[in-house]
Amino acid sequence: MRRLRSRVVRLGIGLSLSAAALAVLASCSSGSSHHAAAAPTVRVKERDFRITVAPARVRAGTVRLVLRNQGPDTHELLIVRSSRTTLPLRTDGLTINEAALDRATVGVIEGKAPGTVEEILLHLKPGHYELFCNMAGHYLGGMRAELVVT
Amino acid sequence: MHRGQAFRPFASTGRRTVAAILLTFAFFSAVSVGLSVWSTSRSKYKASVLEVAARQRTLAERYVKDVLLVRAGVPANPAYIGALLENSSETLLNGGMAPAVNGDDDETKLSAATGGQIRAQLKQERRLIQDLTSTGAAVLGHGPQSAVPLTAHEHLTMTDPIERLRVLSALTSNVSLNTARTIATANDRNINNLITLQMILGVAGFVASLLLGWALIAATRRQTAHFRSLVTSSTDLVLVFGPGGCRYVSQSVATMLGREDRELLGDAFADHVHPDDLATVRTASAHAEPAETVFRVRNRFGEWRHLETHVTDLRANRRIRGVVLNARDITERIRLEEQLTRQAFYDGLTSLPNRALFRDRLQQSLARSGRSNSALAVLLVDLDGFKQVNDSLGHDAGDQLLQAVAERFTETSRPSDTLARLGGDEFALLLDGAHETHAVGVAKRLLVALEEPIWIAGRELVIGGSIGIALHAGGVAEGEELIRHADVAMYAAKEGGRGRYEVFRYDMARELGELLGLEHELRLGLQRSEFTLHYQPEVNLENGDIVGVEALLRWNSPRRGQVPPDRFIPVAEATGLILPLGEFVLREACAQTARWRSEGVLPEKFVTWVNLSGRQLSGAGIGSVVRSALDQADLPARYLGLEVTETALVVHEGPGWERSQKELQALHEDGVRIAIDDFGTGFSSLGQLRHFPVDMIKVDRSFIQGMEEETKDAAIAANLVTLAHALGVLAIAEGIESDGQLASLKGLGCDLAQGFLFARPMPASQVQHLLSGSFGDLIEPTSAVA
Repeated sequence: MRRLRSRVVRLGIGLSLSAAALAVLASCSSGSSHHAAAAPTVRVKERDFRITVAPARVRAGTVRLVLRNQGPDTHELLIVRSSRTTLPLRTDGLTINEAALDRATVGVIEGKAPGTVEEILLHLKPGHYELFCNMAGHYLGGMRAELVVT
Repeated sequence: MHRGQAFRPFASTGRRTVAAILLTFAFFSAVSVGLSVWSTSRSKYKASVLEVAARQRTLAERYVKDVLLVRAGVPANPAYIGALLENSSETLLNGGMAPAVNGDDDETKLSAATGGQIRAQLKQERRLIQDLTSTGAAVLGHGPQSAVPLTAHEHLTMTDPIERLRVLSALTSNVSLNTARTIATANDRNINNLITLQMILGVAGFVASLLLGWALIAATRRQTAHFRSLVTSSTDLVLVFGPGGCRYVSQSVATMLGREDRELLGDAFADHVHPDDLATVRTASAHAEPAETVFRVRNRFGEWRHLETHVTDLRANRRIRGVVLNARDITERIRLEEQLTRQAFYDGLTSLPNRALFRDRLQQSLARSGRSNSALAVLLVDLDGFKQVNDSLGHDAGDQLLQAVAERFTETSRPSDTLARLGGDEFALLLDGAHETHAVGVAKRLLVALEEPIWIAGRELVIGGSIGIALHAGGVAEGEELIRHADVAMYAAKEGGRGRYEVFRYDMARELGELLGLEHELRLGLQRSEFTLHYQPEVNLENGDIVGVEALLRWNSPRRGQVPPDRFIPVAEATGLILPLGEFVLREACAQTARWRSEGVLPEKFVTWVNLSGRQLSGAGIGSVVRSALDQADLPARYLGLEVTETALVVHEGPGWERSQKELQALHEDGVRIAIDDFGTGFSSLGQLRHFPVDMIKVDRSFIQGMEEETKDAAIAANLVTLAHALGVLAIAEGIESDGQLASLKGLGCDLAQGFLFARPMPASQVQHLLSGSFGDLIEPTSAVA
């Protein structure tokens, strides 16, 4: 699970880097569309034990996701493209089986201390996305939300 | 660094800097140790918290297990576990003693949690534990799940109570774990900060120490430089002597002497020390004794500088190992002292010793004389006629005259004699070891030295001197007494006529006392009108007519009675009283003659003769005095005649003489008659007489009185009469007392005569009776004989 996460993080960083490169490119080549600057922002707030997403519906493409953990506990965030309303649990019955969702996972933000803000760029295809915290019991405790990409 | 601040003594600044360095080290050490202690305690706290937090997970899971066991009918005590959970949670949040679980671990003492985030997480944990235990209680009591309040904002959608319990247990475990992590992270951050801080502190401490050390070195340097400059630039001189001579001289020594250091160091220093002081300097530099001394050093220009020196023995001092001489150049002070001494003991005008120094030298000589019985002599010289020079030519001329006289006296005296100017025109000479012959010889040389005329302001002055000599044969004597004796002798010399010397005799003192008394009485007499004039008729030898009178001064002293003129006239001459007396005679004679004239008793061609003293003649303004007397009396000048002694004419050569000659000439042109008195006694040359405006020559009484017995006198008298006639002036015989003399004089062709034979000097009232008459009866017989 840890290995996988780090890969996803690298992906996120890669995305960020490519976005930065794009931004540099954009600033260099006039006339092309401003992907990074024009990317719609999705604000995600986490707190014990709820996730809110605003707006809950966004156009496909590059999306800037801003995560704010309002605590009091530490939280992480996984973004998974899934048409299913319920995600598969691990055998402990308390956490989502991330390995099963590996291919569908488009973004991971590792556990963040309360009061921190994290920002990532996501390239989202149209579809239904689940946003959740996979710390033990947090998903079941209510920390899940939906994002619809059209 | 301390710009604008006053100089601080080295010790103080140095101590402060050292103290600052120590304080800085202490401060940094304290901070460092404090941080270490604090971080250690934090680490212990962290370990305890992690232990308790880890136990919370175990307890949460055990609680769920115990609830399930109880539900399955197996004995368990979930309430106890729940209480432990709550208790531990409270302890984690607010501090206290964490309870031991099953006795397999010790009680752990915790302090209250700090930091907003940690406390928020711990509070959430407490809420979750509360939700867990209340859910557990509901499960055991088969109560409705909906009645269980959820305080930690969980959104539990599952209906199975056991499922809820598991989720709540997982949430509790998770928050405990997360809290432990947060604490650990915070602690790691703290430790990282601590390491950074320690490093910064270390660097800061090092830099501060460097700065302070540098400041200390700078302060030390500054102080050293300060003292060095104090030593080198101060006018005080520092010399250090050790084995091998001079080892150090301060810059000021080299500057003062204008010499290089190498000329002064080592044995070379002694080359510049005054030979008389060398022994002292050697002793002082070798043995540090005497502690204070003055010695002389020659500078580059060969000038002796006087150094006042304090000697300090620092041979025992490891840093010096020598004798230190702190010296001050007091040359200027010594010069000033010498100058003051000169001013106090030397006469500014002539540079001769003054009265004070003369007294001092005399005391010393007398002391020597008292010991060795050697002789000595004191000569007092008073210049004759100095006052007249001062009055007529001004003080500058007088000063020049005194300088010229001082020069001549200096040339005349030996260097071993003390020549002094006592004040005014009075000089003194102290002759050591001189007996009478020597002293008299010196006096004669001094008088000879004055004989040569002195040129002052384009005029030739002849000045005389009167010298008094006091001799001391040896033994004890008083200096003042000796000076007084010389003074008396000098007075005697003056009284005896100018240009003389007298050796003091004890009877002089008595005479002088009388002389001084007489002078006082003369002054009083002048004020009290004790003086009167008597008149002695002068008779024409051809017909016996009275053709004039000689006015003679008479003094009727209330104490002495009638004082003869030869008693008081010399005193009046010596003291200068002759001037007011002479003026009195002139006025009185003119006034009386004018009275006779107004009364109509005065014959035609009558002349009243008045004697002029040499002093009157040499003093300024005889012309104006005579004219003022004539004007006051309203008397034509032709009625007045002036008798001048031959001596007065001879003595007063030079500018004074020339002036008086001119004044007499002017008076003569006005009509005043001039006669030469005592003719034949002086040494006047015929040439002088020819240039002098003379109307009459008086043949001295000494020749007249000797005429009958001494053929020589008779011959002289005859020649004098012939001379007078040859010069075209009248001749008059003085002191004619007998018929024989009268006959002889008539035979010689003498024109006039006066004497007891005709009339004694008499008061004016008696003269008046004679004026109308004649001595024709006295003259007749002789003319009959002729």
